[in-house]
Amino acid sequence: MSHQGVVMTGNRKDVPKIDSSELKELTEKLITACHILDHEGVTDGYGHISVRVPCADAFVTIANVSPGCVTRDRLIMQDLDGNYLDGAKTPPNEWPIHSCILKARPEIVSVAHTHSKWSTIFSVLPIKLKPMHHYGKFLSADGPPVYQGVGLVRTVERGTELAAALGKAPAVLMRAHGDAVVGESVEQVIERTTRLAMLGEWNHLALLHGEPKYLSAEELKVYNEDQRFPMRGWEYYVSRLGERQ
Amino acid sequence: MALSGSETPAFDSENLRELKQKVVDGCHILDREGITDGFGHVSIRVPGTEAFITIASVSPGCATLKRLVMLDLNGQYLGGQNTPPYEWPIHACIFKARPDVMSVCHTHSRWSSLFSVLRGGLPPIHMYAKFLPPKGPPIYPAAGLIGTVERGEALARTLQDSAAVLLRAHGDAVIGASLEQAILRTLQLAFLGELAHMAVAHGEPLYLSQEELGTFAADRSFPARPWEYYLSRIRERHSA
Repeated sequence: MSHQGVVMTGNRKDVPKIDSSELKELTEKLITACHILDHEGVTDGYGHISVRVPCADAFVTIANVSPGCVTRDRLIMQDLDGNYLDGAKTPPNEWPIHSCILKARPEIVSVAHTHSKWSTIFSVLPIKLKPMHHYGKFLSADGPPVYQGVGLVRTVERGTELAAALGKAPAVLMRAHGDAVVGESVEQVIERTTRLAMLGEWNHLALLHGEPKYLSAEELKVYNEDQRFPMRGWEYYVSRLGERQ
Repeated sequence: MALSGSETPAFDSENLRELKQKVVDGCHILDREGITDGFGHVSIRVPGTEAFITIASVSPGCATLKRLVMLDLNGQYLGGQNTPPYEWPIHACIFKARPDVMSVCHTHSRWSSLFSVLRGGLPPIHMYAKFLPPKGPPIYPAAGLIGTVERGEALARTLQDSAAVLLRAHGDAVIGASLEQAILRTLQLAFLGELAHMAVAHGEPLYLSQEELGTFAADRSFPARPWEYYLSRIRERHSA
Protein backbone atom coordinates (compact mmCIF):
# COMPACT_ATOMS: atom_id res chain seq x y z
CA MET A 1 0.00 0.00 0.00
CA SER A 2 1.24 3.47 -0.74
CA HIS A 3 0.82 6.30 1.70
CA GLN A 4 0.63 9.05 -0.84
CA GLY A 5 -0.44 12.40 0.47
CA VAL A 6 -0.41 11.32 4.12
CA VAL A 7 2.02 13.08 6.43
CA MET A 8 3.88 10.25 8.08
CA THR A 9 5.84 11.92 10.86
CA GLY A 10 4.82 11.83 14.47
CA ASN A 11 5.96 11.13 17.96
CA ARG A 12 4.49 7.70 18.23
CA LYS A 13 5.80 6.12 21.41
CA ASP A 14 5.26 2.45 20.59
CA VAL A 15 7.56 2.26 17.59
CA PRO A 16 7.01 -1.26 16.21
CA LYS A 17 9.89 -3.74 16.17
CA ILE A 18 11.61 -4.30 12.85
CA ASP A 19 10.32 -7.89 12.65
CA SER A 20 6.79 -7.04 13.83
CA SER A 21 3.82 -8.12 11.75
CA GLU A 22 2.95 -4.43 11.36
CA LEU A 23 6.18 -3.74 9.47
CA LYS A 24 6.33 -7.04 7.59
CA GLU A 25 4.83 -5.75 4.35
CA LEU A 26 6.93 -2.60 4.43
CA THR A 27 10.23 -4.35 5.13
CA GLU A 28 9.55 -6.98 2.47
CA LYS A 29 8.83 -4.21 0.01
CA LEU A 30 12.08 -2.50 0.98
CA ILE A 31 14.04 -5.69 0.28
CA THR A 32 12.28 -6.17 -3.06
CA ALA A 33 13.01 -2.55 -3.96
CA CYS A 34 16.74 -3.05 -3.24
CA HIS A 35 16.81 -6.17 -5.39
CA ILE A 36 15.08 -4.30 -8.22
CA LEU A 37 17.69 -1.53 -8.27
CA ASP A 38 20.38 -4.19 -8.32
CA HIS A 39 18.72 -6.26 -11.02
CA GLU A 40 18.13 -3.20 -13.22
CA GLY A 41 21.81 -2.28 -13.01
CA VAL A 42 21.45 0.90 -10.97
CA THR A 43 23.33 -0.15 -7.83
CA ASP A 44 26.57 -2.08 -7.27
CA GLY A 45 28.13 -2.88 -3.91
CA TYR A 46 26.78 0.40 -2.55
CA GLY A 47 23.61 2.39 -2.29
CA HIS A 48 20.61 2.13 0.01
CA ILE A 49 16.89 2.64 0.26
CA SER A 50 15.02 3.67 3.37
CA VAL A 51 11.38 3.68 4.36
CA ARG A 52 9.82 5.74 7.11
CA VAL A 53 8.14 3.83 9.94
CA PRO A 54 4.50 4.98 9.74
CA CYS A 55 3.70 7.77 12.17
CA ALA A 56 7.09 7.58 13.88
CA ASP A 57 10.32 9.56 13.74
CA ALA A 58 12.11 6.44 12.62
CA PHE A 59 13.13 4.69 9.44
CA VAL A 60 14.28 1.29 8.27
CA THR A 61 17.19 0.91 5.86
CA ILE A 62 19.77 -1.71 4.93
CA ALA A 63 22.56 -2.50 7.35
CA ASN A 64 25.83 -1.85 5.54
CA VAL A 65 25.21 -4.38 2.78
CA SER A 66 24.86 -4.11 -0.99
CA PRO A 67 21.24 -3.65 -2.07
CA GLY A 68 21.71 -6.79 -4.16
CA CYS A 69 22.60 -8.85 -1.08
CA VAL A 70 20.08 -7.54 1.43
CA THR A 71 18.00 -10.02 3.46
CA ARG A 72 15.51 -9.66 6.33
CA ASP A 73 18.17 -9.99 8.99
CA ARG A 74 20.28 -7.26 7.43
CA LEU A 75 17.89 -4.38 8.04
CA ILE A 76 18.31 -1.67 10.64
CA MET A 77 15.90 0.79 12.28
CA GLN A 78 17.16 4.20 13.38
CA ASP A 79 15.50 7.36 14.60
CA LEU A 80 15.84 10.63 12.72
CA ASP A 81 18.89 11.56 14.81
CA GLY A 82 20.58 8.34 13.78
CA ASN A 83 20.14 6.54 17.09
CA TYR A 84 19.95 2.77 16.80
CA LEU A 85 16.49 1.38 17.49
CA ASP A 86 16.37 -2.21 16.23
CA GLY A 87 17.70 -4.80 13.82
CA ALA A 88 21.26 -5.41 12.63
CA LYS A 89 23.70 -3.13 14.42
CA THR A 90 25.66 -1.87 11.43
CA PRO A 91 24.11 1.36 10.12
CA PRO A 92 25.09 2.40 6.62
CA ASN A 93 27.85 5.01 6.60
CA GLU A 94 25.58 7.53 4.99
CA TRP A 95 22.52 7.20 7.22
CA PRO A 96 22.29 11.04 7.43
CA ILE A 97 21.12 11.05 3.79
CA HIS A 98 17.95 9.37 4.98
CA SER A 99 17.45 10.94 8.38
CA CYS A 100 18.09 14.49 7.23
CA ILE A 101 15.83 14.23 4.17
CA LEU A 102 13.06 12.49 6.11
CA LYS A 103 13.32 15.25 8.74
CA ALA A 104 13.21 18.05 6.17
CA ARG A 105 10.42 16.53 4.07
CA PRO A 106 7.59 15.19 6.26
CA GLU A 107 5.56 14.10 3.20
CA ILE A 108 8.34 11.79 2.03
CA VAL A 109 8.03 8.09 2.87
CA SER A 110 11.06 6.64 1.12
CA VAL A 111 14.55 7.71 0.00
CA ALA A 112 16.94 5.92 -2.36
CA HIS A 113 20.63 6.72 -2.62
CA THR A 114 22.59 5.21 -5.51
CA HIS A 115 25.83 5.59 -7.42
CA SER A 116 23.91 5.31 -10.70
CA LYS A 117 26.35 5.85 -13.56
CA TRP A 118 23.90 8.18 -15.30
CA SER A 119 23.32 10.40 -12.29
CA THR A 120 27.04 10.43 -11.63
CA ILE A 121 27.96 11.51 -15.13
CA PHE A 122 25.46 14.39 -15.16
CA SER A 123 26.59 15.41 -11.67
CA VAL A 124 29.97 16.42 -13.10
CA LEU A 125 28.95 17.82 -16.50
CA PRO A 126 28.30 21.48 -17.25
CA ILE A 127 25.17 20.44 -19.15
CA LYS A 128 22.07 19.43 -17.18
CA LEU A 129 20.08 16.23 -17.22
CA LYS A 130 16.68 17.48 -18.36
CA PRO A 131 13.36 15.85 -19.23
CA MET A 132 13.49 14.81 -22.89
CA HIS A 133 10.93 12.04 -22.33
CA HIS A 134 7.73 11.98 -20.32
CA TYR A 135 9.41 9.55 -17.94
CA GLY A 136 10.98 12.77 -16.63
CA LYS A 137 7.65 14.38 -15.85
CA PHE A 138 8.32 14.15 -12.12
CA LEU A 139 11.27 16.53 -12.59
CA SER A 140 11.17 20.23 -13.30
CA ALA A 141 11.98 21.38 -16.83
CA ASP A 142 15.54 22.30 -15.85
CA GLY A 143 16.19 18.93 -14.26
CA PRO A 144 17.31 17.92 -10.77
CA PRO A 145 19.52 20.17 -8.62
CA VAL A 146 23.12 19.13 -7.95
CA TYR A 147 24.63 18.89 -4.47
CA GLN A 148 28.18 20.20 -4.86
CA GLY A 149 29.61 19.06 -1.53
CA VAL A 150 32.53 16.65 -1.54
CA GLY A 151 32.79 13.68 0.77
CA LEU A 152 30.43 10.93 1.86
CA VAL A 153 27.34 12.17 3.64
CA ARG A 154 28.34 10.73 7.01
CA THR A 155 27.53 13.71 9.21
CA VAL A 156 24.29 15.46 10.05
CA GLU A 157 25.89 18.68 8.80
CA ARG A 158 26.39 17.21 5.34
CA GLY A 159 23.01 15.53 5.42
CA THR A 160 21.39 18.87 6.18
CA GLU A 161 23.26 20.50 3.30
CA LEU A 162 22.13 17.71 1.00
CA ALA A 163 18.51 18.14 2.11
CA ALA A 164 18.85 21.88 1.47
CA ALA A 165 20.18 21.20 -2.04
CA LEU A 166 17.28 18.82 -2.66
CA GLY A 167 14.81 21.46 -1.49
CA LYS A 168 11.32 20.55 -2.69
CA ALA A 169 12.62 18.51 -5.65
CA PRO A 170 12.02 14.78 -6.17
CA ALA A 171 15.72 14.05 -6.75
CA VAL A 172 19.14 15.56 -6.27
CA LEU A 173 22.34 14.62 -8.05
CA MET A 174 25.44 14.40 -5.84
CA ARG A 175 28.60 15.61 -7.53
CA ALA A 176 31.08 12.83 -8.34
CA HIS A 177 28.97 10.53 -6.21
CA GLY A 178 25.44 9.67 -7.45
CA ASP A 179 21.93 10.67 -6.48
CA ALA A 180 19.27 10.76 -3.80
CA VAL A 181 15.67 10.25 -4.91
CA VAL A 182 12.58 10.68 -2.75
CA GLY A 183 8.97 9.59 -2.99
CA GLU A 184 5.71 9.19 -1.18
CA SER A 185 5.96 5.40 -1.46
CA VAL A 186 8.69 2.82 -2.02
CA GLU A 187 7.17 2.05 -5.43
CA GLN A 188 7.36 5.69 -6.43
CA VAL A 189 11.00 5.92 -5.39
CA ILE A 190 11.84 2.87 -7.49
CA GLU A 191 9.95 4.27 -10.48
CA ARG A 192 11.74 7.60 -10.14
CA THR A 193 15.19 6.10 -9.57
CA THR A 194 14.96 3.76 -12.57
CA ARG A 195 13.54 6.53 -14.74
CA LEU A 196 16.21 8.99 -13.66
CA ALA A 197 18.78 6.44 -14.82
CA MET A 198 16.95 5.96 -18.15
CA LEU A 199 16.74 9.70 -18.65
CA GLY A 200 20.42 10.08 -17.90
CA GLU A 201 21.24 7.43 -20.47
CA TRP A 202 18.92 8.94 -23.07
CA ASN A 203 20.24 12.47 -22.43
CA HIS A 204 23.73 11.10 -22.91
CA LEU A 205 22.73 9.46 -26.21
CA ALA A 206 20.93 12.58 -27.43
CA LEU A 207 23.69 15.05 -26.62
CA LEU A 208 26.00 13.33 -29.08
CA HIS A 209 23.71 14.70 -31.80
CA GLY A 210 23.39 18.25 -30.49
CA GLU A 211 20.80 19.77 -28.23
CA PRO A 212 17.58 17.71 -28.15
CA LYS A 213 14.09 19.20 -27.98
CA TYR A 214 13.49 19.01 -24.25
CA LEU A 215 10.00 19.09 -22.77
CA SER A 216 8.98 22.57 -21.61
CA ALA A 217 7.41 23.25 -18.21
CA GLU A 218 4.07 23.59 -19.96
CA GLU A 219 4.44 20.27 -21.77
CA LEU A 220 5.44 18.55 -18.53
CA LYS A 221 2.26 19.94 -17.02
CA VAL A 222 0.22 18.35 -19.82
CA TYR A 223 1.83 14.99 -19.09
CA ASN A 224 1.29 15.41 -15.36
CA GLU A 225 -2.42 15.89 -15.97
CA ASP A 226 -2.62 12.40 -17.52
CA GLN A 227 -3.55 9.41 -15.44
CA ARG A 228 -0.77 7.70 -13.44
CA PHE A 229 0.04 4.01 -13.12
CA PRO A 230 2.24 3.64 -10.04
CA MET A 231 2.03 -0.18 -9.90
CA ARG A 232 2.55 -1.16 -13.54
CA GLY A 233 6.32 -0.75 -13.58
CA TRP A 234 6.61 -2.21 -10.08
CA GLU A 235 4.82 -5.41 -11.15
CA TYR A 236 7.09 -5.64 -14.17
CA TYR A 237 10.31 -5.18 -12.22
CA VAL A 238 9.17 -7.69 -9.61
CA SER A 239 8.48 -10.21 -12.42
CA ARG A 240 12.05 -9.79 -13.62
CA LEU A 241 13.37 -10.64 -10.15
CA GLY A 242 11.41 -13.90 -10.35
CA GLU A 243 13.34 -14.83 -13.46
CA ARG A 244 16.61 -14.28 -11.67
CA GLN A 245 15.81 -16.57 -8.79
CA MET B 1 -10.39 -5.59 -43.66
CA ALA B 2 -12.93 -4.19 -41.26
CA LEU B 3 -16.45 -4.97 -42.36
CA SER B 4 -18.84 -2.96 -40.27
CA GLY B 5 -21.86 -4.83 -39.09
CA SER B 6 -20.14 -8.21 -38.96
CA GLU B 7 -20.75 -10.06 -35.78
CA THR B 8 -17.80 -9.97 -33.40
CA PRO B 9 -16.98 -13.36 -31.89
CA ALA B 10 -17.29 -13.60 -28.10
CA PHE B 11 -14.02 -12.86 -26.34
CA ASP B 12 -13.79 -16.39 -24.94
CA SER B 13 -14.70 -18.12 -28.18
CA GLU B 14 -12.27 -20.66 -29.54
CA ASN B 15 -11.73 -18.83 -32.82
CA LEU B 16 -10.08 -15.88 -31.05
CA ARG B 17 -7.60 -18.08 -29.25
CA GLU B 18 -4.92 -17.92 -31.91
CA LEU B 19 -5.16 -14.12 -32.17
CA LYS B 20 -4.90 -13.79 -28.41
CA GLN B 21 -1.87 -16.04 -28.24
CA LYS B 22 -0.25 -13.96 -30.97
CA VAL B 23 -0.76 -10.76 -28.96
CA VAL B 24 0.82 -12.36 -25.89
CA ASP B 25 3.74 -13.74 -27.92
CA GLY B 26 4.26 -10.39 -29.63
CA CYS B 27 4.35 -8.65 -26.24
CA HIS B 28 6.84 -11.12 -24.83
CA ILE B 29 9.05 -10.72 -27.88
CA LEU B 30 9.17 -6.93 -27.50
CA ASP B 31 10.05 -7.39 -23.84
CA ARG B 32 12.65 -10.08 -24.50
CA GLU B 33 14.33 -7.95 -27.15
CA GLY B 34 14.61 -5.00 -24.77
CA ILE B 35 12.10 -2.71 -26.45
CA THR B 36 9.47 -2.37 -23.73
CA ASP B 37 9.63 -1.89 -19.98
CA GLY B 38 6.63 -1.54 -17.68
CA PHE B 39 4.74 0.15 -20.51
CA GLY B 40 3.78 -0.26 -24.14
CA HIS B 41 1.16 -2.41 -25.89
CA VAL B 42 0.43 -4.53 -28.91
CA SER B 43 -2.97 -4.86 -30.57
CA ILE B 44 -4.53 -7.04 -33.24
CA ARG B 45 -7.66 -6.36 -35.25
CA VAL B 46 -10.30 -9.08 -35.13
CA PRO B 47 -10.59 -9.79 -38.87
CA GLY B 48 -13.82 -8.70 -40.49
CA THR B 49 -15.06 -6.76 -37.46
CA GLU B 50 -14.80 -3.34 -35.84
CA ALA B 51 -12.99 -4.83 -32.85
CA PHE B 52 -9.43 -5.27 -31.64
CA ILE B 53 -7.67 -7.10 -28.83
CA THR B 54 -4.87 -5.61 -26.76
CA ILE B 55 -3.31 -6.00 -23.32
CA ALA B 56 -5.27 -4.87 -20.27
CA SER B 57 -3.10 -2.33 -18.43
CA VAL B 58 -0.18 -4.65 -17.85
CA SER B 59 3.46 -4.56 -18.90
CA PRO B 60 3.97 -6.41 -22.21
CA GLY B 61 6.48 -8.58 -20.36
CA CYS B 62 3.76 -9.67 -17.91
CA ALA B 63 0.96 -10.17 -20.47
CA THR B 64 -1.04 -13.42 -20.28
CA LEU B 65 -4.12 -14.75 -22.11
CA LYS B 66 -6.20 -13.64 -19.13
CA ARG B 67 -4.89 -10.09 -19.16
CA LEU B 68 -6.26 -9.08 -22.54
CA VAL B 69 -9.20 -6.85 -23.42
CA MET B 70 -11.35 -6.56 -26.55
CA LEU B 71 -12.63 -3.11 -27.54
CA ASP B 72 -14.49 -1.71 -30.51
CA LEU B 73 -13.07 1.16 -32.54
CA ASN B 74 -14.83 3.67 -30.29
CA GLY B 75 -13.22 2.17 -27.21
CA GLN B 76 -16.37 0.36 -26.05
CA TYR B 77 -15.62 -2.70 -23.95
CA LEU B 78 -16.42 -6.00 -25.69
CA GLY B 79 -14.83 -8.62 -23.43
CA GLY B 80 -11.85 -9.77 -21.42
CA GLN B 81 -10.26 -8.07 -18.43
CA ASN B 82 -12.06 -4.76 -18.15
CA THR B 83 -9.04 -2.52 -17.65
CA PRO B 84 -8.29 -1.14 -21.12
CA PRO B 85 -4.94 0.56 -21.57
CA TYR B 86 -5.12 4.31 -20.99
CA GLU B 87 -3.83 4.90 -24.52
CA TRP B 88 -6.37 2.67 -26.29
CA PRO B 89 -7.05 5.54 -28.78
CA ILE B 90 -3.63 4.90 -30.34
CA HIS B 91 -5.01 1.60 -31.58
CA ALA B 92 -8.65 2.50 -32.19
CA CYS B 93 -7.88 5.67 -34.14
CA ILE B 94 -5.20 4.06 -36.31
CA PHE B 95 -7.43 1.04 -37.06
CA LYS B 96 -10.22 3.42 -37.98
CA ALA B 97 -8.05 5.59 -40.23
CA ARG B 98 -6.18 2.69 -41.83
CA PRO B 99 -8.35 -0.28 -42.87
CA ASP B 100 -5.17 -1.96 -44.20
CA VAL B 101 -3.69 -2.16 -40.72
CA MET B 102 -4.16 -5.40 -38.79
CA SER B 103 -1.84 -4.72 -35.87
CA VAL B 104 -0.38 -1.76 -33.96
CA CYS B 105 2.54 -1.69 -31.53
CA HIS B 106 3.16 1.23 -29.18
CA THR B 107 6.44 1.32 -27.27
CA HIS B 108 8.73 3.66 -25.36
CA SER B 109 11.72 2.25 -27.26
CA ARG B 110 14.80 4.20 -26.29
CA TRP B 111 15.85 4.57 -29.92
CA SER B 112 12.50 5.92 -31.03
CA SER B 113 12.39 8.16 -27.97
CA LEU B 114 15.86 9.43 -28.83
CA PHE B 115 15.18 10.24 -32.47
CA SER B 116 11.83 11.77 -31.52
CA VAL B 117 13.65 14.67 -29.83
CA LEU B 118 16.55 15.06 -32.26
CA ARG B 119 16.51 17.59 -35.04
CA GLY B 120 17.93 15.45 -37.83
CA GLY B 121 15.27 12.76 -38.15
CA LEU B 122 16.05 9.10 -38.82
CA PRO B 123 17.03 8.76 -42.51
CA PRO B 124 17.52 5.25 -43.97
CA ILE B 125 20.86 3.84 -42.88
CA HIS B 126 20.15 0.16 -43.57
CA MET B 127 17.91 -1.81 -45.89
CA TYR B 128 15.59 -2.49 -42.94
CA ALA B 129 14.43 1.10 -43.51
CA LYS B 130 12.61 -0.10 -46.60
CA PHE B 131 9.29 0.01 -44.79
CA LEU B 132 9.76 3.65 -43.77
CA PRO B 133 9.22 6.88 -45.74
CA PRO B 134 12.43 8.01 -47.52
CA LYS B 135 13.13 10.75 -44.96
CA GLY B 136 12.37 8.54 -41.99
CA PRO B 137 9.21 8.25 -39.89
CA PRO B 138 7.09 11.35 -39.20
CA ILE B 139 7.13 12.77 -35.66
CA TYR B 140 3.97 13.47 -33.66
CA PRO B 141 5.02 16.62 -31.78
CA ALA B 142 2.38 17.17 -29.09
CA ALA B 143 2.80 16.55 -25.35
CA GLY B 144 0.47 14.27 -23.43
CA LEU B 145 -0.39 10.59 -23.42
CA ILE B 146 -2.81 9.50 -26.16
CA GLY B 147 -5.69 9.12 -23.71
CA THR B 148 -8.36 10.80 -25.85
CA VAL B 149 -9.87 10.19 -29.29
CA GLU B 150 -8.86 13.73 -30.22
CA ARG B 151 -5.20 12.95 -29.58
CA GLY B 152 -5.55 9.53 -31.22
CA GLU B 153 -6.95 11.11 -34.37
CA ALA B 154 -4.13 13.68 -34.41
CA LEU B 155 -1.63 10.83 -34.10
CA ALA B 156 -3.27 8.90 -36.94
CA ARG B 157 -3.11 12.06 -39.09
CA THR B 158 0.63 12.39 -38.40
CA LEU B 159 1.13 8.70 -39.22
CA GLN B 160 -0.86 9.19 -42.43
CA ASP B 161 0.16 6.37 -44.80
CA SER B 162 3.50 5.68 -43.11
CA ALA B 163 4.29 2.38 -41.37
CA ALA B 164 5.59 4.06 -38.24
CA VAL B 165 5.35 7.34 -36.36
CA LEU B 166 7.63 8.63 -33.62
CA LEU B 167 5.90 10.27 -30.65
CA ARG B 168 8.00 13.14 -29.37
CA ALA B 169 9.47 12.53 -25.90
CA HIS B 170 7.35 9.41 -25.73
CA GLY B 171 8.20 6.57 -28.15
CA ASP B 172 6.65 5.14 -31.30
CA ALA B 173 3.62 3.55 -32.92
CA VAL B 174 4.28 0.97 -35.62
CA ILE B 175 1.69 -0.71 -37.81
CA GLY B 176 1.59 -3.89 -39.84
CA ALA B 177 -0.59 -5.85 -42.22
CA SER B 178 -0.09 -8.65 -39.69
CA LEU B 179 0.95 -8.75 -36.06
CA GLU B 180 4.18 -10.47 -37.05
CA GLN B 181 4.97 -7.61 -39.40
CA ALA B 182 4.20 -4.93 -36.78
CA ILE B 183 6.49 -6.67 -34.26
CA LEU B 184 9.27 -7.13 -36.80
CA ARG B 185 9.07 -3.49 -37.88
CA THR B 186 9.16 -2.33 -34.26
CA LEU B 187 12.37 -4.31 -33.76
CA GLN B 188 13.81 -3.05 -37.04
CA LEU B 189 12.98 0.55 -36.15
CA ALA B 190 14.94 0.12 -32.91
CA PHE B 191 17.83 -1.45 -34.81
CA LEU B 192 17.83 1.47 -37.26
CA GLY B 193 17.83 3.97 -34.42
CA GLU B 194 20.73 2.31 -32.70
CA LEU B 195 22.72 2.08 -35.93
CA ALA B 196 22.06 5.71 -36.84
CA HIS B 197 23.07 6.76 -33.35
CA MET B 198 26.34 4.86 -33.50
CA ALA B 199 27.12 6.02 -37.02
CA VAL B 200 26.74 9.68 -36.17
CA ALA B 201 29.60 9.32 -33.68
CA HIS B 202 31.84 8.91 -36.74
CA GLY B 203 30.47 11.77 -38.80
CA GLU B 204 27.71 11.89 -41.41
CA PRO B 205 26.95 8.34 -42.61
CA LEU B 206 26.23 7.39 -46.23
CA TYR B 207 22.47 7.10 -46.00
CA LEU B 208 20.56 5.11 -48.61
CA SER B 209 18.85 7.14 -51.31
CA GLN B 210 15.29 6.35 -52.24
CA GLU B 211 16.47 4.71 -55.47
CA GLU B 212 18.98 2.59 -53.57
CA LEU B 213 16.34 1.58 -51.06
CA GLY B 214 14.18 0.53 -53.99
CA THR B 215 16.72 -2.07 -55.04
CA PHE B 216 16.21 -3.99 -51.80
CA ALA B 217 13.32 -6.41 -51.60
CA ALA B 218 10.17 -5.17 -49.95
CA ASP B 219 9.26 -6.30 -46.46
CA ARG B 220 5.69 -7.02 -47.48
CA SER B 221 6.03 -10.76 -47.47
CA PHE B 222 4.98 -12.62 -44.37
CA PRO B 223 7.94 -12.29 -42.00
CA ALA B 224 7.87 -15.94 -40.95
CA ARG B 225 11.60 -16.38 -40.53
CA PRO B 226 12.29 -13.69 -37.92
CA TRP B 227 8.99 -14.48 -36.17
CA GLU B 228 10.10 -18.08 -35.72
CA TYR B 229 13.46 -16.85 -34.49
CA TYR B 230 12.08 -14.40 -31.95
CA LEU B 231 9.54 -16.98 -30.76
CA SER B 232 12.40 -19.40 -30.16
CA ARG B 233 14.06 -16.80 -27.96
CA ILE B 234 11.02 -16.31 -25.74
CA ARG B 235 10.46 -20.06 -25.55
CA GLU B 236 14.01 -20.39 -24.26
CA ARG B 237 13.17 -18.01 -21.48
CA HIS B 238 9.93 -19.68 -20.54
CA SER B 239 11.42 -23.14 -20.50
CA ALA B 240 14.55 -22.07 -18.61
